[in-house]
Amino acid sequence: MGSSQKIRFDIFKHELVPKHSILSKDEVEDLLRRYHVKKYQLAKIMARDPAAVAIGAKPGDVLRIVRRSPTAGLAVFYRFVVEG
Amino acid sequence: MMLETYKRIAGIKFGLLSPHEIRKMSVVEIRTPDTYDEDGVPIPSGLMDGRLGTLEPRQRCATCGNTAAMCPGHFGHIELAVPIVHVGFVKYIYELLTITCRECGRLLIPSDKIEKLKEKMEELKKSLGEVPKRFFDSVKSEAKKRSECPYCGSPQYRIELMKPTTFYEHQREGGVIRLDAGTIRSRLERIPDDDLRLLGYDPSSARPEWAILQVLPVPPVYVRPSITLETGIRSEDDLTHKLVDIIRINERLKEAIASGAPTLIREELSDLLQYHVTTYIDNEAPGIPPSRHRSGRALKTLSQRLKGKEGRFRLNLTGKRVDFSARTVISPDPNLDINEVGVPIDIAKRLTVSEKVTVWNLEEMKKLVINGPDVYPGALYVTRPDGRKIRLDFVADRKKLAESLEPGYIVERHIRDGDIALFNRQPSLHRISIMAHRIKVLPYKTFRLHLAVCIPYNADFDGDEMNLHIPQSEEARSEARLLMQVQDQIISPRYGAPIIGSTRDFLTAAYLLTRKDTYLDKREFFTLLAAIDYDGEIPPPAIKEPEPLWTGKQVFSLLLPEDFNYFGRATVCKHKHTSPDEECPLEGVVVVRNGQLVKGVIDKNSIGAERAETLYHRIVRDYGTGFAATFLNKLCRLLNTFITMRGFSFSLDELNLPEKAKESIAQILREAEERVQKLIEEYNRGTLRRIPGRTLEESLELLIMNELSKARERCDEVASTSLTMSNQGIIMVRCGARGSELNIGHMTACLGQQSVRGRRVVCGYLDRALPHFKWGDQSPKARGFIESSFYKGLSPIEFFFHSMAGREGLVDTAVRTQQSGYMQRRLIHALEYLRVEYDGTVRTTDGEVVQLRYGEDGVDPSKSDHGKAVNLQRLLERMSLKGCETPPTPEELDELLEKYRLRLTPYYISELRRLIIDKRLSLEDARKLIEATVVEFENSQVDPGEAVGVVTAQSIGEPGTQMTLRVFHFAGVRERDVTLGLPRLIEIVDARKKPSTPIMTVKLDEEHRFDRDKALAVAQSLVHTAIRDIAAKGEYEIDLDNGVVRVKIDRVAMKNRGVTDEDLERLTLPNTTIEFTGDEIVVKPKSAMDLPGLKKLVDKTMKLHVKGVPGIKRVQVVEEGGEWIIQVDGSNFSKVIQVPGVDPTRTMTNNLYEIYETLGIEAARNAIIKEAKEVFEGIGGGLDLDIRHLMLVADIMTLTGRIRQVGRHGVTGEKSSPLARAAFEITVSNIVDAAVKGIMDELKGVTENIIAGQDMKVGTGMVDIYMTPSSSRER
Repeated sequence: MGSSQKIRFDIFKHELVPKHSILSKDEVEDLLRRYHVKKYQLAKIMARDPAAVAIGAKPGDVLRIVRRSPTAGLAVFYRFVVEG
Repeated sequence: MMLETYKRIAGIKFGLLSPHEIRKMSVVEIRTPDTYDEDGVPIPSGLMDGRLGTLEPRQRCATCGNTAAMCPGHFGHIELAVPIVHVGFVKYIYELLTITCRECGRLLIPSDKIEKLKEKMEELKKSLGEVPKRFFDSVKSEAKKRSECPYCGSPQYRIELMKPTTFYEHQREGGVIRLDAGTIRSRLERIPDDDLRLLGYDPSSARPEWAILQVLPVPPVYVRPSITLETGIRSEDDLTHKLVDIIRINERLKEAIASGAPTLIREELSDLLQYHVTTYIDNEAPGIPPSRHRSGRALKTLSQRLKGKEGRFRLNLTGKRVDFSARTVISPDPNLDINEVGVPIDIAKRLTVSEKVTVWNLEEMKKLVINGPDVYPGALYVTRPDGRKIRLDFVADRKKLAESLEPGYIVERHIRDGDIALFNRQPSLHRISIMAHRIKVLPYKTFRLHLAVCIPYNADFDGDEMNLHIPQSEEARSEARLLMQVQDQIISPRYGAPIIGSTRDFLTAAYLLTRKDTYLDKREFFTLLAAIDYDGEIPPPAIKEPEPLWTGKQVFSLLLPEDFNYFGRATVCKHKHTSPDEECPLEGVVVVRNGQLVKGVIDKNSIGAERAETLYHRIVRDYGTGFAATFLNKLCRLLNTFITMRGFSFSLDELNLPEKAKESIAQILREAEERVQKLIEEYNRGTLRRIPGRTLEESLELLIMNELSKARERCDEVASTSLTMSNQGIIMVRCGARGSELNIGHMTACLGQQSVRGRRVVCGYLDRALPHFKWGDQSPKARGFIESSFYKGLSPIEFFFHSMAGREGLVDTAVRTQQSGYMQRRLIHALEYLRVEYDGTVRTTDGEVVQLRYGEDGVDPSKSDHGKAVNLQRLLERMSLKGCETPPTPEELDELLEKYRLRLTPYYISELRRLIIDKRLSLEDARKLIEATVVEFENSQVDPGEAVGVVTAQSIGEPGTQMTLRVFHFAGVRERDVTLGLPRLIEIVDARKKPSTPIMTVKLDEEHRFDRDKALAVAQSLVHTAIRDIAAKGEYEIDLDNGVVRVKIDRVAMKNRGVTDEDLERLTLPNTTIEFTGDEIVVKPKSAMDLPGLKKLVDKTMKLHVKGVPGIKRVQVVEEGGEWIIQVDGSNFSKVIQVPGVDPTRTMTNNLYEIYETLGIEAARNAIIKEAKEVFEGIGGGLDLDIRHLMLVADIMTLTGRIRQVGRHGVTGEKSSPLARAAFEITVSNIVDAAVKGIMDELKGVTENIIAGQDMKVGTGMVDIYMTPSSSRER
């Protein structure tokens, strides 16, 4: 996956891929407090996921994903980066 | 009053029983293999020992002294003569034997590594909440590597498992030794607790040596009751039989050991004992013959009792039997309310509701008690305040009892009008298959229901039966009344539009009533007014002279609210009218102004069920479900009265077309026949043009089918134009009441092509369908084309073809219901544990966040307006806001909108901005509009606790039955073969690695997009071409003299595929030299080869990749939306996006895995939604489904960062609860696994709580008091 073949183009330009960004430590704290969750209770994303690789996310990070939504226009989602 | 307290089961812990525990809980050691003596008395220390509990109704248990009803049953035990391996745990025993030392029992990993692993385990537990299975697997494979113990240095031997329960050890010296259970046990005993924890085992609740049985628990008699047949013969349970076998052998073995019998005999007996214990636990264990009854039937032992559809889990634990229910045939009654159900009086006399006696109902209750069980408004039981229940059947003097009634008594009275009941029809595919109705007690023997609720129940009256349940507690009744009443289910949660509405004859009647030429005289008009209980001003007649006449539109308008405005189109007219001012000869423009139907006819598009944005939908949305229910009730009663008065029937004569029409149909068919003949001739001559990507035969078949289906369509057209609105059949079709143009065509014009497996009829005899035709006859008639209509009648041959197609239809339906049923079951189990929390997030019951907001905007589809929270256009109309001279500046507007940013979604912010600017609203009006939007938006939010997962599973599963199973090949020549419908949907939720028909849609970059030739060039560079594709047919040669392979090249094929000479010159194959001579490729191996070697080389050469992308089979350049795109059969996403000319940002594939691999999990999520959406849109006119449901499925499938299947290898298989997993599939393994790991099921999910028989923490069950009393807080 990903690593075996070099991808020539920026995957974030593809229609299907929403924006990913890494949360700062404070933002993570804030998020966990706001939703009363532990990190591992968030949805997950693999560290080798092309999108995670592209933004240089490491296991333990939390990513903010801004999705284009057919219902809400824009929707924010978070994923916890795990090994694998 | 009795104070009812009950406790919740907080959890169920799984583990193994140690021999010590088994002995401790045992009340008797069983040693006698017999049950009863001649007198039928249980033999002491036999299998039916009185201490195990008692089966006789009046006897008392010898252990606890209770009667059969109260005694919980007690275990006994059997002391086994030798240790016996428990089959269920063989897998784990084997695993432990291979990774621990045979001498010292330590895990075969050196201590420094163990320390590191322990740390890693702690770390994982902290960061992931639990240790993933992956970790334990890695520890195990690490340990497997060593063949010598790092602790004691002793060599390790290979262990072999002979299914089911025998272990062998391969000594290094070459000998093979059988390990007996005792040896295994002692080895397992030596494994330290700490090492076990590192492997995921829980030694505190399951020491591995306990998997070797020394003592066998004997279940109480209630688990294996014996039954007495009518003949007086006792028949024992299968388990008892098996236990008898075990005891018998066990005793013999004990004797043998005591008497010092030879080892051989002892071993034989131990093996036999092992066999019996194994089959006692699992009679389907692989590798041994199942133990059988005398009759030859295999015994149903412990595993078999739990497994499968008829097993304990699915039959008794997740499905339970209930009291207070009734079932009978249903029949229609248009005079009922939609909220009512007619209950036969005989049933009403058997079902009861408990009513507390108070001072206010004392007299009434007395009367009921006096009436007793057999006189209708009566009662069955009276419960006194001391808890004694009196059955009124047995009371001689009910009057006396009635006199003694006083407040505090409880009377179980007959149900009566107005009581609430749950009404249900199986299969319960969605939540509206069970709704609450008010009871109406009626004479005769059937349940009666309103016709409008047939749709949600999917009921008809050809003998359907339905079930009725009477909720017993006040709590249950309130919930039913507030949440489940029919009127509250009008809007379907599947698509946010009415699912309950008018159907069939009501639509015909509505059309006839509201037609322009319908006038009603005084008598008729007032009859109709009486039907709807009209109590208001009488509208003035539309025509006053010579006699007063009213229009049907006037009558219909009486039902509408006075401030109601509406514009829509009727189904009768196919034109797309866009303005309320347009005139339509068919009255297709429906306009309601201030509650008056100004013009247009009312039909399916206005009041029909399962339609969105209709007049009726508007009424439900704007005036509430209560009003809508009354509207529907009155409407149906009105239409029913009207059509009864007017009369409506359809006769055979109406299907007889005029002679002229018949002639032109015959002419069309003749012409089609000729054209087909021409095609066949062309094919025979070899001049037929080939359709790209098809063989000549396929092309012919496609062209013929295309021709014939066009012909049939034209026949239908002739028929439908020659029949007018005066035809009753046409009326029904056009107003949407019943039937389609296709049906009319079939009846009057021509039946058309009959198909089997999507093609013309071919099967049957060799090269022909029936012996009546010549071999190889391709003509329409010989291949199942039916020229006759139903009116004309079918010839015997046509009839036979029609039967073939008909049979296929039946088979297809049967297969489809099974497939969609299983898909629904999987969806339910995968999604059932999702709910909306109080903070608006969607979480699993374990607290994992699946969505931050349900459907990303928190809108409940069943509270939405066809998926939208607010219908802005409609809101604007209702508020009658007009534009102004000085609209606010964009800055002012942004400032205003900013205040509401957090209360609305970005979608509504931008929509509002657009609308306000568009309509030039003043700042004040804008504020009003935004405020109103916020109110509606907030009203449409999901309620906390809503079981959104189940709703989603139902919404996706229920339409499954309506989908076509087979890939539908349209006769259209250009169609691509794509798997659609149910099979494709199953493919998606299965998360298959490769779809059955991989397809790509390749978009091109700026340079190539607008030029067909450039697009073609890109397309050519995509197609995968191997030598095989350009080799001349059969032209290859193995040149033995020179030891080379020669392949002739077909120049034409080369050109077709755009292969240049340079491409061929560039070819390489490892260990060979390749030479291209211009018309031949010569492959010479570097070292000389023999014939077989060269033959293999031919294969390799043929497969040699010349150009293009592997996996791409066929391409087609099509113009779409003003640009050239390439449609590709086959898929290879990561490679195709790198081809020059391809626009990688817009190129798509239907292979979800490729998207996941190259674009990541978020892209995969979006692709799942997109693909599933296409399935629902792609089916005949589209099945309506709210996108939020697809989002939820996609989110749960991608929750863990990889694509998970909806099923046992994915979402359900990864649930934390072993009970939930066991209830779905692979029951026994899940329980065994839970035992070894010592898992505690915390009963958080839905299935688990159903199994435990308590309410689940979802919906109203989630409500709890979240408060700490001050007294305990201080502590």
